[in-house]
Amino acid sequence: MPPVIDPALCKKCGRCADICNSHIFYFNRDAREVPVVRYPEECWHCDCCVLECPAKAITLRIPLPFTMLHVPSNTLKPRS
Amino acid sequence: MIPISARYDCDFAIVGGGIGGLMAGIAAKDAGAERVIIFEKCHPLRSGSGAMGNDHFRCWLEEEHGPLEDLVRQTLASPIGQVRDPLLLRQSLEKSFDIVKMWDEWGIEMRPTGKYEFMGHAFPGKPRPTLKYNGTKQKKVLTDQAKKRGVEILNHHPVLELFKQEGRIAGLLALDMTKEEPSFVLVRSKTVLLSTGHTSRLYITGPTPAYMFNTSHCPNNAGGQALGWRIGAKLVNMEIPYRHAGPKFFARSGKGTWIGVYRYPDGRPIGPFATKPDIYYGDITGDVWNTAFSDVLRDGSGPAYQDCSGATPEQLAFQRKAFFSEGLSAMVNYMDDKKLDPAENAFEFMPYEPTLHGRGIEINERAETSVPGLFAAGDMVGNGGAGIHPAAYFGMIGGQNAAADARNLDFLPLEENEQVQERMAFYSSFAERKVGPDWREANFALQQIMSDYAPAGPERVRTENILNAGIAYLEQMRQEMFETAIAPNSHTLMRLAEVIDLSDCGLAIMHAAKARQESRAYHRRADFRFTNPLLAEKQLNVFLENGEVKTEYRNKWK
Ligand SMILES: Cc1cc2nc3c(=O)[nH]c(=O)nc-3n(C[C@H](O)[C@H](O)[C@H](O)COP(=O)(O)OP(=O)(O)OC[C@H]3O[C@@H](n4cnc5c(N)ncnc54)[C@H](O)[C@@H]3O)c2cc1C
Ligand code: SF4
Ligand code: SF4
Repeated sequence: MPPVIDPALCKKCGRCADICNSHIFYFNRDAREVPVVRYPEECWHCDCCVLECPAKAITLRIPLPFTMLHVPSNTLKPRS
Repeated sequence: MIPISARYDCDFAIVGGGIGGLMAGIAAKDAGAERVIIFEKCHPLRSGSGAMGNDHFRCWLEEEHGPLEDLVRQTLASPIGQVRDPLLLRQSLEKSFDIVKMWDEWGIEMRPTGKYEFMGHAFPGKPRPTLKYNGTKQKKVLTDQAKKRGVEILNHHPVLELFKQEGRIAGLLALDMTKEEPSFVLVRSKTVLLSTGHTSRLYITGPTPAYMFNTSHCPNNAGGQALGWRIGAKLVNMEIPYRHAGPKFFARSGKGTWIGVYRYPDGRPIGPFATKPDIYYGDITGDVWNTAFSDVLRDGSGPAYQDCSGATPEQLAFQRKAFFSEGLSAMVNYMDDKKLDPAENAFEFMPYEPTLHGRGIEINERAETSVPGLFAAGDMVGNGGAGIHPAAYFGMIGGQNAAADARNLDFLPLEENEQVQERMAFYSSFAERKVGPDWREANFALQQIMSDYAPAGPERVRTENILNAGIAYLEQMRQEMFETAIAPNSHTLMRLAEVIDLSDCGLAIMHAAKARQESRAYHRRADFRFTNPLLAEKQLNVFLENGEVKTEYRNKWK
């Protein structure tokens, strides 16, 4: 699940649900519970919820298929 | 029927609270407009492609670039210049530094190094066209400026439809998705500006086909061009595919912020422009040949890597800071987490799937579309350029002109417009149906058709037969979607409305691609292999007239 909320830190303020540009959270304003990550596959992994959360309760887990393919730079040289 | 929960009357309604929309609101208020409302799909603080930041602002400063015409010529000759009308480019560059100074005054960090400095996206030894800035606070600053002037902003209110009456814009229908149960908002407005950003999610997602929200730009900008298209606004350059490039497989814009050199596995640079990391120039090969990364896989010489090794610690620290200004904190956090230090690792790059970025609604020098009273700005515009600077400039111009026009206009009676009832019944039908495909199925079905029947070069070609088949398949898919799709809550209805818009954009692309009987840029016609010099100074319009798709060429506006 892309954004992971730490329920021990969450202040149940609903800000993440308000600002998420993909509307992936469900937050019931009356119940004031920890938001539910309801549509995880619609996450852009933009980091906005992480940046906005006043309690630093959110971390982003980047899915395995998004792996940034890389090689050690010192291998970029002619093969003998 | 989904109920109407609110009605509004306003002088100026803005669709989208991105860079263009916020600038339009600010400018309209400054020009004396009374009631200005922004209808925003999400929340303007963190919506759209500028949500996290940007760091290059294309602008002209005589001391830096010499005469304006030199920069105009340089831009027109580049891949991003080909689709623009020179008139609009010149006009927007001329005033670009005024916007820079205004943003600086409002508190957007336009001088992060202490002075105005031009960096990135540049050919060695040539004037550098983009100002280096720190856009992390840009959405907050612009939102505050808009609110301070009395612009009203309705969050979580995507616009579903525009209405025309007596030949001009009359109002719009928005969806209130602040609650689980959807409701409609009906708006009479004397003038309207569209600024819904570029369009993603039309084609199978290049890096991760199973994750359609892994896109270089905001994936929630999806199909806004269709709002204008359905009421007859002319579109332009829809058939010329735009493909961004960046890291593989984490799709992200911002390649101009990387300071390294693109290299083959044997260490040779893939382009002629850079041999070592440079914070002022970067390696512009990725801009001028952004399919390089797949070309080198197809011919077996790749992969191609972005290699920052050899940079000094100061240069690497500069790049790291710039990644944050550019809005790439998620990527930097990921790299830190995986211990991927750019000093020691080279990253493979790839071209992403086509998007409508700087393709779409045609505007004139007033930022007005071919529909009187309807304005447009930003990445959804087809002839004004994409990026921060055109979005800010045409948003501002559109806002000023809309405010001036609204003073002399009356409201048009929306109640008499048959379309209003018809469209409300149409969207309500999805909420009422219990069983059927959801938006996701519809979006994947659309992507399959677009990727196979309106594909982009250089790998794939189009022909009249392929496009005819594509149009027929897309019409079938749309009919089935209209008659059977379901949307049980406001979120899924918002997504389904996006797919409906996307499918209109798909049709416009295919019809325009059929009409352009030549190959140009990544529009490759196997039945017309040449690039026709007689079309170099022309633009192709595609539009709806009395329910029929029309295409026509016009001369570029000089
Ligand atoms: C990581 C990254 C880095 C970038 N760096 C640069 C850079 O350095 N320089 C540069 O020039 N450009 C850069 N760009 C591109 C730049 O951000 C965009 O060109 C710019 O934001 C376009 O502004 P806009 O107003 O057209 O659209 P956006 O700012 O994307 O705003 C569109 C708005 O419309 C809303 N919307 C969409 N559909 C609807 C609807 N139906 N109803 C209501 N609202 C709707 C969206 O929620 C959004 O708020 C970058 C983009 C990304 C993603
Ligand atoms: S923003 Fe943070 S504190 Fe507020 S509800 Fe979301 S996770 Fe909890
Ligand atoms: S990373 Fe972005 S899209 Fe994903 S949940 Fe956070 S704000 Fe929403």
